[in-house]
Amino acid sequence: MKMKQVAFLFLIFLASQTVHSWKKDEFRACDQTPFCKRARFRKPGACTLIAHDVSISDGDLTAKLIPKAPHDQDQDQIKPLTLSVSVYQDGIMRLKIDEDPSLDPPKKRFQVADVVISEFETRKLWLQSASTEKINGDDGGLSSVVYLSDGYEAVLRHDPFEVYVREEAGNRRVVSLNSHGLFDFEQLRVKKEDEDWEERFRGHTDTRPYGPQSISFDVSFYGSDFVYGIPEHATSFALKPTRGPGVEESEPYRLFNLDVFEYLHESPFGIYGSIPFMVSHGKSGQSSGFFWLNAAEMQIDVLAKGWDAEGGILMPTEQSRIDTFWMSEAGIVDTFFFVGPGPKDVVKQCVSVTGLPAMPQLFSTGYHQCRWNYRDEEDVENVDSKFDEHDIPYDVLWLDIEHTDGKRYFTWDKMLFPHPEEMQRKLAAKGRHMVTIVDPHIKRDESFHLHKDASQRGYYVKDATGKDYDGWCWPGSSSYPDMLNPEIRSWWAEKFSYDNYVGSTPSLYIWNDMNEPSVFNGPEVTMPRDALHVGGVEHRELHNAYGYYFHMATAEGLLKRGDGKDRPFVLSRAFFAGSQRYGAVWTGDNSADWDHLRVSVPMVLTLGLTGMTFSGADVGGFFGNPEPELLVRWYQLGAYYPFFRGHAHHDTKRREPWLFGERNTALMRDAIRIRYTLLPYFYTLFREANVSGVPVVRPLWMEFPSDEAAFSNDEAFMVGNSLLVQGIYTARAKHASVYLPGKESWFDLRTGTAYKGGKVHKLEVSEESIPAFQRAGTIVPRKDRFRRSSTQMVHDPYTLVIALNSSQAAEGELYVDDGKSYNFKHGAYIHRRFVFSNGHLTSSPVGNSRFSSDCIIERVILLGYTPGAKTALVEPENQKAEIELGPLRFGGQHAAVAVTIRKPGVRVAEDWKIKIL
Amino acid sequence: MKQRLSLMYLSFILIISSRESSSSIPSNSFIGIPPQDEDYFKREIIKCKNGSKKFTKAQLNDDFCDCPDGTDEPGTSACPLGKFYCKNIGHAPSFLYSSRVNDGICDCCDGSDEYDGKVKCPYTCHEAGKVAMESFKRKIEVYQEGVILRKVEIGLAKRAIARDKAELSGLKNEREVVEKVVHQLEGQVRKLEQEPQEKDDKMREARNEKVENEESGPDKNVDSQIEPMKASDVEKQGQAGESPSDQNEKDEHESSEGLSREELGRLVESRWTGKKSGEQVEETDPVKNDQEEGGPDAGYEESVADNSGRSSTAQYKIGVQDLKNSSDIATPSGKSWLDKIQETAQNFLQSVNLFSIPVANLDANKIRKEYNHYTAKLSDLESRISSLTEKLKFDFGKQNEFYLFYDRCFELKQDKYIYKVRPFRNATQEDGSSETQLG
Repeated sequence: MKMKQVAFLFLIFLASQTVHSWKKDEFRACDQTPFCKRARFRKPGACTLIAHDVSISDGDLTAKLIPKAPHDQDQDQIKPLTLSVSVYQDGIMRLKIDEDPSLDPPKKRFQVADVVISEFETRKLWLQSASTEKINGDDGGLSSVVYLSDGYEAVLRHDPFEVYVREEAGNRRVVSLNSHGLFDFEQLRVKKEDEDWEERFRGHTDTRPYGPQSISFDVSFYGSDFVYGIPEHATSFALKPTRGPGVEESEPYRLFNLDVFEYLHESPFGIYGSIPFMVSHGKSGQSSGFFWLNAAEMQIDVLAKGWDAEGGILMPTEQSRIDTFWMSEAGIVDTFFFVGPGPKDVVKQCVSVTGLPAMPQLFSTGYHQCRWNYRDEEDVENVDSKFDEHDIPYDVLWLDIEHTDGKRYFTWDKMLFPHPEEMQRKLAAKGRHMVTIVDPHIKRDESFHLHKDASQRGYYVKDATGKDYDGWCWPGSSSYPDMLNPEIRSWWAEKFSYDNYVGSTPSLYIWNDMNEPSVFNGPEVTMPRDALHVGGVEHRELHNAYGYYFHMATAEGLLKRGDGKDRPFVLSRAFFAGSQRYGAVWTGDNSADWDHLRVSVPMVLTLGLTGMTFSGADVGGFFGNPEPELLVRWYQLGAYYPFFRGHAHHDTKRREPWLFGERNTALMRDAIRIRYTLLPYFYTLFREANVSGVPVVRPLWMEFPSDEAAFSNDEAFMVGNSLLVQGIYTARAKHASVYLPGKESWFDLRTGTAYKGGKVHKLEVSEESIPAFQRAGTIVPRKDRFRRSSTQMVHDPYTLVIALNSSQAAEGELYVDDGKSYNFKHGAYIHRRFVFSNGHLTSSPVGNSRFSSDCIIERVILLGYTPGAKTALVEPENQKAEIELGPLRFGGQHAAVAVTIRKPGVRVAEDWKIKIL
Repeated sequence: MKQRLSLMYLSFILIISSRESSSSIPSNSFIGIPPQDEDYFKREIIKCKNGSKKFTKAQLNDDFCDCPDGTDEPGTSACPLGKFYCKNIGHAPSFLYSSRVNDGICDCCDGSDEYDGKVKCPYTCHEAGKVAMESFKRKIEVYQEGVILRKVEIGLAKRAIARDKAELSGLKNEREVVEKVVHQLEGQVRKLEQEPQEKDDKMREARNEKVENEESGPDKNVDSQIEPMKASDVEKQGQAGESPSDQNEKDEHESSEGLSREELGRLVESRWTGKKSGEQVEETDPVKNDQEEGGPDAGYEESVADNSGRSSTAQYKIGVQDLKNSSDIATPSGKSWLDKIQETAQNFLQSVNLFSIPVANLDANKIRKEYNHYTAKLSDLESRISSLTEKLKFDFGKQNEFYLFYDRCFELKQDKYIYKVRPFRNATQEDGSSETQLG
């Protein structure tokens, strides 16, 4: 008996081991982070700075920030800060605050380089004048007001200083900074004799040679009911308050790129990437945004209503408001206010600063098969042929770190991969591609040419003493190229040429992992903050952007490799604002459990909202072995991620789609095929993102901004404006409650059944699919032929699925180009607009396109159309096409439920009209 | 060739004149249909094979999917469930998924799956046929060799089974005898127990120990795992009121600060790789390592070495060694050694004059020694019997051709891995430092 008890305890012990494998105490909480702790102690109104010498200069509104009444000695040290407000097209205000360079600060503070795109400066509006106002309720204090955009103004209140954006008519505010007087700017100064600036954490010492230099301030969003954004956290889409009444565990959202082993699915702690951009949305249906361009560690509090109950600062009360508090360890204030007012406007405004998402190659929008590790060439060949054997399409096979010679990237294990080129050619013969991993840690091995080259050139990041920083990662002792330096980035880019990367072929693309950077023996598994980059920049100042620069250099490498003609594909784990210009990201090392499946949706939504649209989570979960049911559900959901890849840890069992019995194979095949039939639609959405920044996968409220019931829904998401998808996040689910927004109907993608909008439907769920619907009033282009990969689909005919709204009308778009090159930038694309109304379907061009395609439309499916008509007339040829009932989907035994125009045979590239007779 | 070109030309004209057709409509409406099915498709109105629908002759291979099961499109890619038949003259005919038709990749050796003119497929059926024939011949050769090998194995197995069965029955006889002896001795020992104390205490201790060992035998594995837990952590938990994981984290925390740079790197790395990061690290996390190394693995290896169906215990290991000795004795001839045992036992019992002389005179130690000796022997016999019985229970194939594989280990070196297969037991993959069980 006693033994049984002991055994039981032992089991509990084991279980708790796996549950709590995330080592919380290895990462700094806010109260272990001096700047965060200090900032959070500040009381509203603590800021005494006022704007002085307000004037217009060089097209900006500028001022000096000085303390209102210097009384004690400490404050004597405060030197004036420079403030400038600039205004850009389309409703963007930029506020910069820095130390005055003319007053000789000990060091120039770091401004994040190469994130704001160069075109942005060309959109600057040259301010001519500012008006001075006494605003009601400001106790007669003065404010300077400048024009921002049609209907909006930027305001600088002088005393106490506050900056905000407001609507022109009336005083409705949009976004404000320092309304609660929490602004603080720790200026660089000379160390006093008795001061100790060093910080220690778990045996690591940060020398902090420049002392405290943090910045913090409050930002308020008006007309706001929810705030979103600031990835990357594994947490809900609508950000929960982190401080104030009703908040139990008070920990701010942390932005600090870290390689967190087995991250939790519900946590404000920082993981692999950071985008300090927050979006607000409210009942009015209006959105606004705030972006702080700063790459140091950041902590952000979302303050619960009533947090400032004792603060006594009066705020305009007629608008609902969310207050937030932003803290950063270093850098400057370089912030952007976006007026919206629509959710899509905010995203557009943000990417006009940080850049539009790159147009991906068509193949990269298909399914990717990855595993740590496909062992050798035989394994690769076998996995590849199994896909064919089971008639499952896929586009890319991935090789993780074990393919290298001792984790020396750009090399191959000669035993396991003796013929890399032949291997890639075999895949390429089937139109498939390969991706290999290239990480930033370089093995410190004198016989490794890359290391020799980098160390001789002095290209490594230095430690605090100026020696090459020596950390530990997969290869053992490793150093890290200083990717902040553009010269080093070009050097790195050269390494991807076919000559330098021996064994690479044109069908090989790249995966950047561990670029937070991950350093196994560093503080918090990353690089020490006092490590030094080019120009004496400390690692603490740019940490969150290191992975971004690495990603950038790699993408530039692939671009150079293809003479600027081949679109790069680079997947990165770490990211920063702007990463969307260089490729895709994924949500890192997730786990094979239902909670991680669930949290993948808010994570992908958040990334899309902040510009990083090409993202996905590892299908199946990286750690652990998914039950077949979970794996199937993950494929069914993952098929709608913008980036769709199956991946697994090397200690897990093999889990390729054919390993779980015939039934599960069929289910996974079906899920992957759904993605492939929708590739024309996805590609069109990627193009939309590429020209507007509007993400491929969107929150419901982006399409239905006034539908309050959608504001905090992160179970379901929109793919483009036409499809709504909701995952099944529990085992053996029989029912699912799905909220369908808006007034129009929705059609089940599988059965064509119509459901009313604006209500929650309790639906029966089968193992065959997850709930997915097409919105009435939309047209979705598909390709219903199944192939080995997207490459063979190029000439296949299209199906148009028209979901008619209550006025029997619908519209949609199709974008086509060569799927590879940049010729689309010179007009080599097809962009069609399809409109159905009055029983006529017309195709007309969008823009001026010069691309040819032999593709025809083989089928038009009408949902919500009363059957009856027997023929349609195709113009201009005046050919007749039959109308009959047909299945909505192919590849199984699907009933003939949908009105189908059979073989209209029209070409996608041309103008035509189909009239139902 | 010429014909093909003209057909292409024809279809080209068709495209120009009528937008209804696409470039991939086959020129021959019977393409993709196996010869035995051609009659089925010769009617004017044709049924989908699953009975769901009918279609006209004009709809056969018209590049539009009418039957959900693909009946109407055997020669195009229009129906996902369609199957394309390649004649492959010169080689074996085959069926393809419809996804392969006109996808730009030559799948049939006769190239018939690519007829839309986008690729030219070489005719490779004759070569492929030759290669297939060669490999078929080789297969036959291998098979024939195998048949011979199998015969040899069957012969050997027969002999080995007979030998093992004989041994088994011999062992069973022996057990009977030894049981008797033990029984008799037991009576004696019980008598001894009534004797006054001093010596007896020692003996009881010894016996108790033995009984305990025997009782805990089957659970020994579990027990040995738990032991360190029980000793340190559970108690500590109770005292400190900390959860086990906290305790463990603390252990690692405290010690990781004392680690060198490299050790820390290896320690953190090991979380992902699951590999041990060196001795230092093992020390830092005693509980975890204990659970990884101490228990089942070690036990398993031993039991494999011992050819036993049971989990190993120290006791058992000794037993096997003894058994070797006894079977050495056993081999010469069947009856004589049985007699011998009986004789010695008899002699012994007589010499101590069990039945007549008062117990006080006996050398108690001697009896106990004998008793222990025979109980040990009995347990050896039993384990040997059970392992032989277990062995004979396996299915060694129709004619027991795999009988001799039982004690064999097959090794294959593949690049950096060594694969070991022990039939009827286990399979492992070793790469120098670590061993993975392959299930």
